[in-house]
Amino acid sequence: MPTQAYLLLSAALFCLGIYGVLTRRNAIGVLVAIELMANAVNINLVAFSRVWGSLTGQAFTLFSLALTVSEVVVGLAIVILLYRAHQSVLTDSASEMKG
Amino acid sequence: MSAFTLTRVDAALLCCAAPLLSFLILGLTPALRRTGRIAGYVSIAFAGLSTLYAASLLQGRMFAAASPPDIGQVGWLYAGGKLVASMGVQVDGISASMLVVVTVVALCVQVFSLGYLHDEPPAALGRYYTWHSLFLFSMLGLVVAPNALQLFLCWELVGLASYLLIGFYFKKPSAGQAAVKAFWVTKFADIGLGAGLLVLYVFTGTFDWSPQAVQLLGATGAAWTAGLFFLAVMGKSAQFPLHIWLPDAMEGPTPVSALLHAATMVAAGVYLIVRTYPIFQAAPGVLVFMTFLGAWTALFASIIACSQNDIKKVLAYSTAAQLGYMVSALGAGELWPGYFHLVTHAAFKALLFLGAGALIHAVHSNNLQDMGGLWPKLKISGTAFIIGAMALAGVPGFAGFFSKDAILDVLLERHLFAPWIALLAAAGLTAFYMTRVVMLALFGKPGHHTEHAHESPPSMLAPLVLLAIAALTLGFAGTSLATAAGHEYAFHLSTSGLIASSLALLGIGVGWLAYGKNAFVPGKIPAFAFVQGIVESSAVDRSFAWSYRVVFQGVSGGVAWFDRYIIDGFMNFSAWLTQMAGERLRAAQTGRVVDYLYAVVAGLLLLAAAGFWR
Repeated sequence: MPTQAYLLLSAALFCLGIYGVLTRRNAIGVLVAIELMANAVNINLVAFSRVWGSLTGQAFTLFSLALTVSEVVVGLAIVILLYRAHQSVLTDSASEMKG
Repeated sequence: MSAFTLTRVDAALLCCAAPLLSFLILGLTPALRRTGRIAGYVSIAFAGLSTLYAASLLQGRMFAAASPPDIGQVGWLYAGGKLVASMGVQVDGISASMLVVVTVVALCVQVFSLGYLHDEPPAALGRYYTWHSLFLFSMLGLVVAPNALQLFLCWELVGLASYLLIGFYFKKPSAGQAAVKAFWVTKFADIGLGAGLLVLYVFTGTFDWSPQAVQLLGATGAAWTAGLFFLAVMGKSAQFPLHIWLPDAMEGPTPVSALLHAATMVAAGVYLIVRTYPIFQAAPGVLVFMTFLGAWTALFASIIACSQNDIKKVLAYSTAAQLGYMVSALGAGELWPGYFHLVTHAAFKALLFLGAGALIHAVHSNNLQDMGGLWPKLKISGTAFIIGAMALAGVPGFAGFFSKDAILDVLLERHLFAPWIALLAAAGLTAFYMTRVVMLALFGKPGHHTEHAHESPPSMLAPLVLLAIAALTLGFAGTSLATAAGHEYAFHLSTSGLIASSLALLGIGVGWLAYGKNAFVPGKIPAFAFVQGIVESSAVDRSFAWSYRVVFQGVSGGVAWFDRYIIDGFMNFSAWLTQMAGERLRAAQTGRVVDYLYAVVAGLLLLAAAGFWR
């Protein structure tokens, strides 16, 4: 398979992620969309790892996965706190920072 | 074991360290301080130690002619790797004798205070002795200072101690005001010392008063330095027109007046001239000014002293007058007569103040009218007071006679006739007003407080006796002091001495006629009444008040306007600008997460675009 195919897949996933982040009102949905974006990046890393014949990219991917897991942990914790404060997980409800 | 010997530098250092230690002990242990009398004993013990060390300096070659000073110092301030000023001690005939004067008077006063302040609450007494120790340390540091910067530091410290001790009865509003007034007037004058130091440093790169430094100063530098220093002297040593704080400073306890405002602190101004005399000698214009101003102060203050009814105010004006004698003598271009008078004056004026303290203690009033007829009740204190009065009046044989005579002699020798005549007149007036005080307080009609008067306790009598002996004998120390100042002196009865003592005896006679015999009433004599009128209008104080209102408030009003409308205005404008910008920008903060995410994506796209078309 040509490298372009991987890159196209990755770009598509990334755009889907952005779309999800921007349009989802549910905080969990936003987190899922962020996961899509992160994995689009991972696909890129693996693809270029193959192009250059180096394992560095794949090693980075492993780190990135671990990072994403921690990010989800923190994100879900925030969601729980959000729910406790507002009895809802909709991002619209958290608007205390309005100037 | 080798013999333990104390060098003179060590002795001087220990002499200064003892009161500092006492101050630290009392200052840092409130429990001890609040015991009052015990704190007093601690302070007295250390002052006694200090006196012993000072006395140990008075031997051997100390008074040999032109013996070089012993200097012990450590580097203090460095600028750019170069030593600018040191801190330490300079021991020579002058500083050693001054150390003895200061410590002996301080010791006498501290012992005297035990009896005088008997009724004070313990906490107040402890505070009193703490400040006394601070004062003693600062004064000794000033005396031994090897350069002008250390002298300045200690000079300010004695000013602080003076402020604290004048305001000792701080619950009395007048005492607080007097303390503030003394502080402000002397601080104003101290601008001169600070500025003089700057001039000295700019010209010489040091704060020394060595001959090399004087050479570097040149005529211009010396004139500026000496002139500015003299401004500070005018404040500290109460020379016209900056004498106004001294009479008010009598609000402090009488022993404080004896120590600070008669014997030692006010003499610091004269001592500054003595120490930096090479600089003054290079500034002839300043010297001439000093001669005339000192003589004028002596005459002016003596006239005022004749009409005061508060025994302490009489002595305060007399102090200003005697300091005028010293300044005038130093201005005449000769060092030792002024210094000699400083030493004798310290003894007899401390004696007079402590004697006045004993009288005040007996009748609980400062007013001469309340005393009267105290002699039969207070034989010892009364005798001591009379000895002090005779020494001040310049009765032959007493200390004041010798030093005053030496001053007048120098003025006549240098053909400074106007100051000479003024000082002669002041000598006559001095004898007159001291006779007046003695007659009104000790003899004559008993006042209504006299009945309950009783002799002072031994703690007050012992210092009086000691100082009375000093006032009787110190006149014979003139030869040694002159030698220390590098001058030959042997007493001989001179023309001015004869005239001065005749005038003194005349003054005593007139005073006795007026107040002892009631032969005439001075208040009825037009000239006397006129002077009294001037004093009661307190013209000097009022002219200061006027110039304060017009000059200082005018200038500071302008400065305040600039500060409020230009400087504050600029600050307020920028604050307003920030606030308005914030008001506008707050709309951007919607609080909705999605809006921020849009901003993030937009930023990302912008960065991508920037990277693409770079």
